[in-house]
Amino acid sequence: MPDLKSRPTTTLSLLLRNRLAVVGLVFIALWTLGALLSGLSPYGATQPGAGALLQGPSWAHPFGTDNFGRDLLTRVLAGGRISLWTGLIAIAISLLIGVPLGAFAGFVRGRAGGLVMRLMDMLLAFPSLVLAMAIAAALGPGMVSAMVAVGIVGIPEFARIVHGQVLSLRERDFVEAGHAIGLPGRSILIRHIVPNALAPILVRATLGMGYAILTAASLSFIGLGAQPPDPEWGVLISDGRGYIISGEWWMTTFPGLAIATSILGFNLLGDGLRDVLDPRLRTSK
Amino acid sequence: MKRTVLALAAAAALAVSGCAANANSSSNGSGAEDAGDTLVAAYSEGGKTLDPAEANDVTSDTFVVAAYDQLVTYARTEDGGKPKAKTDQIVPMLAESWKASADNTSYTFKLRADAKFQDGAPVTADAVVKSFDHIKASSSASFLYKMAGIAKVTKVDEQNVKIDLTAPNHLFLQILPMYSFSIIDMDKVAQNGGAKWLATNTAGSGPYKITKWDPSTEAAMARNDSYWGDKPKLRQVNVKFIAEASNRVQLLKKAEVGLALEVPPKDVQSLKAADGVTIDSRAGNKILFFAMNNKIKPFDDPRVRQAVSYAIPYEKLLNDVMKGQASPMKSSVASSTPGFSDAGYTYTHDLDKARALLAQAGLPQGFSFDFTLGSGFDDWNDDAVLIQAELAKIGVTMNIKKMARPQFLEALETKKVQAYITRWTSFVNDPGYHLGLLLTSQGSSNYANFSDPVVDKAWEQASTEPDVAKRNKLYGVAQQEINTKAPWAYLYEYNIVVAHRAGLDGYTSYPDGIVRFFQLSVTK
Repeated sequence: MPDLKSRPTTTLSLLLRNRLAVVGLVFIALWTLGALLSGLSPYGATQPGAGALLQGPSWAHPFGTDNFGRDLLTRVLAGGRISLWTGLIAIAISLLIGVPLGAFAGFVRGRAGGLVMRLMDMLLAFPSLVLAMAIAAALGPGMVSAMVAVGIVGIPEFARIVHGQVLSLRERDFVEAGHAIGLPGRSILIRHIVPNALAPILVRATLGMGYAILTAASLSFIGLGAQPPDPEWGVLISDGRGYIISGEWWMTTFPGLAIATSILGFNLLGDGLRDVLDPRLRTSK
Repeated sequence: MKRTVLALAAAAALAVSGCAANANSSSNGSGAEDAGDTLVAAYSEGGKTLDPAEANDVTSDTFVVAAYDQLVTYARTEDGGKPKAKTDQIVPMLAESWKASADNTSYTFKLRADAKFQDGAPVTADAVVKSFDHIKASSSASFLYKMAGIAKVTKVDEQNVKIDLTAPNHLFLQILPMYSFSIIDMDKVAQNGGAKWLATNTAGSGPYKITKWDPSTEAAMARNDSYWGDKPKLRQVNVKFIAEASNRVQLLKKAEVGLALEVPPKDVQSLKAADGVTIDSRAGNKILFFAMNNKIKPFDDPRVRQAVSYAIPYEKLLNDVMKGQASPMKSSVASSTPGFSDAGYTYTHDLDKARALLAQAGLPQGFSFDFTLGSGFDDWNDDAVLIQAELAKIGVTMNIKKMARPQFLEALETKKVQAYITRWTSFVNDPGYHLGLLLTSQGSSNYANFSDPVVDKAWEQASTEPDVAKRNKLYGVAQQEINTKAPWAYLYEYNIVVAHRAGLDGYTSYPDGIVRFFQLSVTK
């Protein structure tokens, strides 16, 4: 099947032809690179006293310093490591639980499937941030609970997408053929249906990264996520908010921009991926 | 793309949160500068109850002292031209005079004949007796009732009340001026269905009527025009509840409020420079300390606690965090409290000494512990981060766990929190009251489980010692022992900071930090 082999290159090249997606990729690459290189900064991300207190942006401290004299650029970059990891792990949790649940519900249908999907509907009925707050508060403050909370909140989205995909795929000819030659149901589901549902999952996961980062930052902002002295972006904004009025705008602006650009990056990339991966959108071009 | 825009908007909102509430810049006529007999004040929180015997926070207490009178009150004096409370001198209020029995176990108070409750009923001996019954039955102030040593309150005649004590008690007259010991029109309370009614209504004889109280937004007080005492100069006081400190500062700068409490130290400098703003910053007896749970390893070893005390960056806390709006704390008792002693206090920021003490305690590699950080006060957060960084230098890992304030207070009461920062104000400015609650084995607020026979014995002896000098000597012994055993690392003594518009006169600084609005006047 030559068509399948050439597909990845086609997808990538199509993606790279989408300018907005490339912008998104650049944002993501920049923050990832910054997170990886933050350790090389001459200043520590957590030790007070790298410079004078509350200095505005300068060559020595491009993002300024905070109320302990810590270099804000170093903290924002190091914060990227925490925020990106949080997003990744949260999405992984949502995926690992949501995809099997949705696939199961779609494949077996009936009462069991209905029960699973009604449970998902219950989770979706809560405002997601409120649900994340409740879970994080129950688990106790900390970055791990924030990851778990954001991960759990993301489960129903994936379950619903996969559920819908499976429902439509299971009526297709190749699945009927599988049944006809006597393949066991599990094997049809795992080896034939789920792979064909991957594209929307990938799109959703990319878009979900931005959302996960924002939710985790919100949790940290209200004290349920990262704990001092970890420079998570939400914490940086929370620390700086008392200084907006008194003129130290850089303490909130730069972490705010970090959150905004990284979310923008993931959303642009996700939109681009959807355009490329959705055959209908592709042919309509 | 819709999703992108939404997410961006949310991120932007997160980035600029805190700005929104300041967006309105219109100055209406309610500011202190516009109306001479009206004051608008900005408080951080709205209070929990109006019941004098249950009130326990500055906002609730403020309304109680406005709406109620007590039998006696604190004298006022001048300090550098500014009025200040003289807490060791007690003067008449609803009681025009009082007599103590020869053995100091019985006091007879003679009530003013002209004092009336706000709805016109006279303040009688019956009301006093019933008010004391209410205090005794309350959940909050009943411990003060015990601490004052009150055995029995009886009506002698319409104008005289006799209070018998279990033993001579030097705290008795000190406790009576507290807001908790307000005289309430209990007949009116009974007509309205009992003590629960008091939580949201008032039945006092005080200088102001509470006309509105919505803890989430604002409260209003109107002058009691038939007040028996000096007529308050301000006709109307509105109190707005604004949680965000920067918003309070901004409103004061723009003269939309005439007085603001809980001004962050970092804003004091900018406010001093602002036109028409006066900062009243004076030493108080509000202390902040880093408590280590004496029952949880490794803080059961005094050498470990001393090591922590040597690792605190005291100068940085005073200068970088408090910007000079605090002073060094050198005993468990505030330095402005009569009977204060810093004997045995040797702690400076000295990491070598800290390391040596850890080595002696068998922990040369350091250790790791959980620190619970209560929310609500920016300086606590900043102190914790600085202390964490210093402790890291001696190998000690301090894991900060943030906790919302209500949960934090609940957690403290379990006495199982390993380490925490908390502040304390002793409304009764006396070491016996202070140490009895905080650092004796039986102390109800001894959340760090400090238990020391020397301290317990000295405190016990002092509590029945009538001679002030001997008593203070005993309190000195207790303080020296505490300073040496270091159940807490002392961080600082807060200044009481009240920021107000120029032209506001009469503000008197009390150790309890409560503003008495009836003393204020506004001149243009």
